[in-house]
Amino acid sequence: MNPWELIIQQPVINVLIVLSHYLADNFGLAIIALTIIVNLLMLGLTLKQIRSTKAMQELQPRLAEIQKKYAKDRQKLGQEQMKLYKESGVKPAGCAITMVVQMPVWIALYQSIMLTLAVAPEGLLNLSKYLYSWPVVYSVLPLSRDFLWFNMAQPDFILAILVGGTMWLQQKMSMTMPTDPKQQSQSQMMLWMMPLMFAFLALSFPSGLSLFWVTSSVVRIFMQYRVTGWGGLTQGASQEVDKDKKYVKFVAQAEEKSLDDVGADIDMTSDEPGRDQGLSYPEKPSKMRYQPGKDRSQRRRKK
Amino acid sequence: MVPLKQGKWRAGRILLLMVMLLVTGLAGFGCVTGLRPVGWSGGAVSDGTLLVGSKEGRLVSVNLADESRQWSESLKAASQAGGLFGCAPAMAGGGCDACGAGASGVAIYGTPAMSGDLVYIGGYNGKIYAYTSSSLAVRWIHPREGNLEPIVGGLVVAQGRVYFGGSDGKVYALDAATGDKLWEFETGDKIWSTPAVSGDTLLIGSFDKKLYALNMADGSKIWEFMTEGAIISTPLVHNGTVYIGSFDRYMYAVSAVDGSLRWQFMGENWFWANPVVYDSTIYAACLDDRVYALQADTGDKVAEFELGSPVSSSPVVVNSSIILASRKGVIYAIDTGRNELRQLADIEEEIYGPLCASEGVVYIHTPDLTLHRINATTGAVLRPISLESKD
Repeated sequence: MNPWELIIQQPVINVLIVLSHYLADNFGLAIIALTIIVNLLMLGLTLKQIRSTKAMQELQPRLAEIQKKYAKDRQKLGQEQMKLYKESGVKPAGCAITMVVQMPVWIALYQSIMLTLAVAPEGLLNLSKYLYSWPVVYSVLPLSRDFLWFNMAQPDFILAILVGGTMWLQQKMSMTMPTDPKQQSQSQMMLWMMPLMFAFLALSFPSGLSLFWVTSSVVRIFMQYRVTGWGGLTQGASQEVDKDKKYVKFVAQAEEKSLDDVGADIDMTSDEPGRDQGLSYPEKPSKMRYQPGKDRSQRRRKK
Repeated sequence: MVPLKQGKWRAGRILLLMVMLLVTGLAGFGCVTGLRPVGWSGGAVSDGTLLVGSKEGRLVSVNLADESRQWSESLKAASQAGGLFGCAPAMAGGGCDACGAGASGVAIYGTPAMSGDLVYIGGYNGKIYAYTSSSLAVRWIHPREGNLEPIVGGLVVAQGRVYFGGSDGKVYALDAATGDKLWEFETGDKIWSTPAVSGDTLLIGSFDKKLYALNMADGSKIWEFMTEGAIISTPLVHNGTVYIGSFDRYMYAVSAVDGSLRWQFMGENWFWANPVVYDSTIYAACLDDRVYALQADTGDKVAEFELGSPVSSSPVVVNSSIILASRKGVIYAIDTGRNELRQLADIEEEIYGPLCASEGVVYIHTPDLTLHRINATTGAVLRPISLESKD
């Protein structure tokens, strides 16, 4: 066995088998249990990723503003973007790094489930090399593939729909639609493409793997809800009401500190004097999150 | 020039992330082995002709004298499965090139069985085929309509009947001439074991951890023997005792008359391959990389042989030697007189299927569609025969 098999796959496979034994010889329940356990073990990383994504999304209107403003000056654009990230404490690569750290764990889980399912006779024969010398491991195998209404060794249409549905829901919750129509269409595409792709994959892979995907998505939905509420799910309606005012209000907020003598609801252009030099941003972007219909009135009351 | 440096740094980091993602993705989502049914049919020799099921899903007939070959039509898959990446198990057989399997037909696991002018074979598509030995023309197919669950074990032909077990957990008896079903017996789980015959009794193991003794005439149960693990190997009957290996890591010896336990011996992994007997010694290959030589009447260990790789292919007895093959492709001979192990050859191909021997030559079917030939005495590797069809 290579180090990956020895250190990662073998322990996970044996844990899956033992879990099956203690969960009434039910491999489906073992997949669900192990997925939840692994999610709990990675809770810190996942929450960090969710928060990081949330912070990035909250910066989107301001990034769009900078992009609009410095469209012709790439160097300045990069400078201002970095400045914004720095000042608001957001690490753009943070989400990606967390995903990269989590990826081997998900891959190990995926591989172990597929190996333990032993869908073909070759798979069962191959499984023997991963077994620890625990008596329980030998008495349980081969595991039953029946769970609820489906055979975990075969693709299942309903489960494929569940894979797509839960993934869409989780993505929708974590996504804030950008106001820029171009970015909006890209986000819309991403929102649909991933769930559709995974649903399509679910029709090609044993449904034991789909069960793992559905469970993962449900756990992520729960975590997302705890951190951001329904998030992007409730955004659509409010965006419809106020979508034309968004940039105007944000600019006013952004300019508040440096140009506090200038009128509030004025959308400044790059031709205006002092604009390039005086732009500064509040340190906590989460407090600056745009809330249609609230921001301006609150600020005026303070004044 | 800070922005330029920052830009370079960011680009470098993104590149690094992409490379990491790519490497991790390739390593991780690279195919998990054993998802596709490929098949590991062994050969059967009769009248100078070797018959074997190829991973193209064809029965192949090889004339051992002139090495001429004949192929049957491809077995038909019950349903298309495998999907986009071919990583779903075929419901009933069809393989594809995905996951390195390289198979393009219905997987065949059982060794062909011959009787009279007919040769019988079972496919992973859940059908039993009877061909004429001379032309490989189909005589009958069971069932005529639809499919059974995948058939992994081999068939046995006796008393004008074909006996086999299926993944639906049933033992079937068919009329050998017509393919009509005569009786069926249901066990508690899948059957991947090949049946064995002892007098009028049919012996077969099941995933439900039991060894069954059935009346060959009507399929009624005579006795059953419970182990702690699934049974996949073929029972060996010798001097009124049935020897059977189980997934619970034990090799059992039970009375052929009433199924009472005589002795049991523990290995360190599954007993997958069929045991063989020579004189009064049982040779039991185990997936713990060892072969155990056990006293047939007491189960006492006479010797054990370390092969460095699991043995899943069933050994054969040639003259006074036990010939066996490790998964890694090394062929060994155990001298039964001195209980000594010696390496005969290394064909450097993975070996899963049972060995077959005729006139001092051992035939090994490997997943690369090749029939390897080894001289059982000298270990000389003879020219291999390709089983690839011309279609």
